[in-house]
Amino acid sequence: MKLNHTRLDNGLTIIAESRQTAASMAAGFFVRTGARDEAPEVAGVSHFLEHMIFKGTPRRGSLEVNREFDSMGANYNAFTSEENTVFYGAVLPEYQDALLDLLCDILRPSLRKEDFDLEKNVILDEIARYEDMPRYRVYEMLLAEYFRPHPLSHSVLGTSRSVGALTREQMLAYFSRRYAANNLTLVGVGNVDFDALVAKASRMCGHWPSDEAGRDTAAPAHRQGQRIVTDPNVARQQVALASPAPASQDDDRYAAMLAATLLGDVTGSRLYYALVDVALADEASMVYDSLDGTGAFMTFLSCDSDQAARVVEIARREMAQFQADGPAEAELLAAKNKIASGATLKGEVPMGRFTVVGYDWVYRKEYVPLADQIETLFAVTARQVVEVARKHDFGKTMLVALGPLEKL
Amino acid sequence: MKVSERSERSERFFDKRLANGLRLLGQRMEQVSSAAMTLVVPAGAAHDPAGLEGAASILCEWSLRGAGERNTRQFNDALDGLGCQHGETVRSDHIIYSAAQLSRNLHAVLGLYADLLLRPRLADETFEPCRALVEQDLESLQDEPAHKCNLMLRERFYPRPLGASGYGTPGSLAAATPPALRELFRRRFCPAGTILAVAGDIDWPAVCDRAEDLLGDWRGEPCPTPVVQPPLGGIEHVAKESAQAHIGLAYPTVTISHEQYYAARLAGMVLSGGAAARLHTELREKRALVYHVSASYHSLKGHAGVFAYAGTRPELAQQTFDMTVGEIRHLAEGIEADEVARARTQLKSALIMQGESTGARANAMASDFYHLGRVRGLGELSDAIDATTADEIIDHVRAWPARDVTVLVIGPKPVDTGILDQ
Repeated sequence: MKLNHTRLDNGLTIIAESRQTAASMAAGFFVRTGARDEAPEVAGVSHFLEHMIFKGTPRRGSLEVNREFDSMGANYNAFTSEENTVFYGAVLPEYQDALLDLLCDILRPSLRKEDFDLEKNVILDEIARYEDMPRYRVYEMLLAEYFRPHPLSHSVLGTSRSVGALTREQMLAYFSRRYAANNLTLVGVGNVDFDALVAKASRMCGHWPSDEAGRDTAAPAHRQGQRIVTDPNVARQQVALASPAPASQDDDRYAAMLAATLLGDVTGSRLYYALVDVALADEASMVYDSLDGTGAFMTFLSCDSDQAARVVEIARREMAQFQADGPAEAELLAAKNKIASGATLKGEVPMGRFTVVGYDWVYRKEYVPLADQIETLFAVTARQVVEVARKHDFGKTMLVALGPLEKL
Repeated sequence: MKVSERSERSERFFDKRLANGLRLLGQRMEQVSSAAMTLVVPAGAAHDPAGLEGAASILCEWSLRGAGERNTRQFNDALDGLGCQHGETVRSDHIIYSAAQLSRNLHAVLGLYADLLLRPRLADETFEPCRALVEQDLESLQDEPAHKCNLMLRERFYPRPLGASGYGTPGSLAAATPPALRELFRRRFCPAGTILAVAGDIDWPAVCDRAEDLLGDWRGEPCPTPVVQPPLGGIEHVAKESAQAHIGLAYPTVTISHEQYYAARLAGMVLSGGAAARLHTELREKRALVYHVSASYHSLKGHAGVFAYAGTRPELAQQTFDMTVGEIRHLAEGIEADEVARARTQLKSALIMQGESTGARANAMASDFYHLGRVRGLGELSDAIDATTADEIIDHVRAWPARDVTVLVIGPKPVDTGILDQ
């Protein structure tokens, strides 16, 4: 397993982790852009643009794009987050060239007016779809309250209003700045031919312009407080909490990952035993969200509304206790084993390694083989875990609630 | 490289029946350091006693609350300590325990699951939280209308109780007691009908020895099959002030063991195998009626269906329903050669990529054995897909049209299903 990387003259970075024995290969573009890079008047444009990328180019109409992906038997898709827009496909190795031809072509879309107008309806339906998912709504509420007014508070989907008002010209302007060559990373993983990958990308992407895409990396304020939205149509009370955590670039991110696993893994964690095992909550989980220049621990609770106050109190108590005492050695070792085993299983499938290799590069300009990642993880001490908890402080929380309750 | 060459290089299957009836399956995979286990126990939701619907779900939860020398926490911590990524699912016929870990920990994990099967605690004091969690899951369905739509559709489509969701009702969950569920465990957790499949970096003789040591003494009577009643079927609207209308429809098709199975799967790919398939192209790409529309194949042992789902804004529900039915019917009018070619490539490619995951392989082996009594290799699957002609696909679609359609809609308004009578 080794990493190859190069950079085209226009700034496009190409990296590949090659494993010639893999049955498949995965490749795709990481665009360093997302909801945090949007001005408020174009809220939702990153995600809408992700859809439009599949709507065709001067060489291909949208139906042809779909047909070609399907003809390769590609497992392909795209996603947009606060900080990244990622396009990818996994195929059998003999389709590498065809996959790259298609991916490189669609990254220079026509953005035709008629496609733009039609696809807007699909986005509006997608927004409606998420309105029927209280667990997603509470996540968006948490980001909005916790990071406001920082751009990390922006909704990835935008709103019906912002998307409805968006114009093609605004999208074009956003595209030309954010999809500049030097804001893109082409990643290949699995049974990938690196030389062929570079040759293809040079030919197809070498002329793409560079730009000052950049990003406002000013730190958010990490607001504290509470916001309750009452919705009697939601059956289960949803509560979410956020508190500060290390950034993607921080060395103590491994300790942070362990802290979140110890406290809030979906099984076998402290919150699990305190809340789910005893059926006070049907969900009690914590994740560590590492972001560009900042980070957050996020806790999600779902329970009967009449238990919510007690559930929140217990969750806070567990966090405070963890921060005071830290983990026991056996508990820490089990958490390490869980993470290492999960990473190993994921790493056995090219699609699983794809995002890990891509993010390592996008956030830290580094390549870390899986074995080294696991070694770093096992070197983390209980002391380091408790220190990361204390330094960032689970007590500095923003709490949001969605459901039947009017107060908490 | 041809698929058959790939499969010869990478596939080695093993199969053994223990004297007590338990079936052991294995696949040795190169280039992996993990080993995954799928344990299939014939205690699924369709076997819940009348009045105790949801019992299998409670039992599944309860079975993890301590076994052998370990209490709940010790049992869970032991799995965690072995880096075991585990999950439990209640299906129609089975409770399925899945566990994936580094291969060096497989035998220790098997020991823990043997405790669960042979020496579960099933203690009174751990019962109530298990029931409460299933009650909460049932209530949570109100907040997941798309999921609820698919579950209710399946429940109505299959002969009762084969499509049971496993969540039960508030009344049936309240009726569950520790003695009743212990009795259910005794009757349903038995070696005959249980399948243990392992895939990955395994040493087959050692796996057999370990299984024999752990489970060779397991005793129990073979499980009777549930008595079935005709399906409810029909048209159902569940009123909800949701942002979307959630539309589900299902109609019968052939089971996995049927000679037209591959034709059915390929027809399914033409309909909904990818973004270029008909439903996505016509409803989303050309008309922007939906963000999500799909149709998928689902099979129980003796019954199978095509299940279509579309979520759309309520004002577009009627058009979406009519178009979905229309596209399903259009299949019988003809399928283009390039559609068949894409469907073949997609099915085969998905199989090969699935073959890279030890967990997916263990699941596939267990499923094959349950449905067919044997495991299908990649080469066999690929050859069967290649051998299925466009004519056979059309013949299948005409022989199994969308008839006796079950419809379930969750949303502000019902849809007019008159098109089904035309």
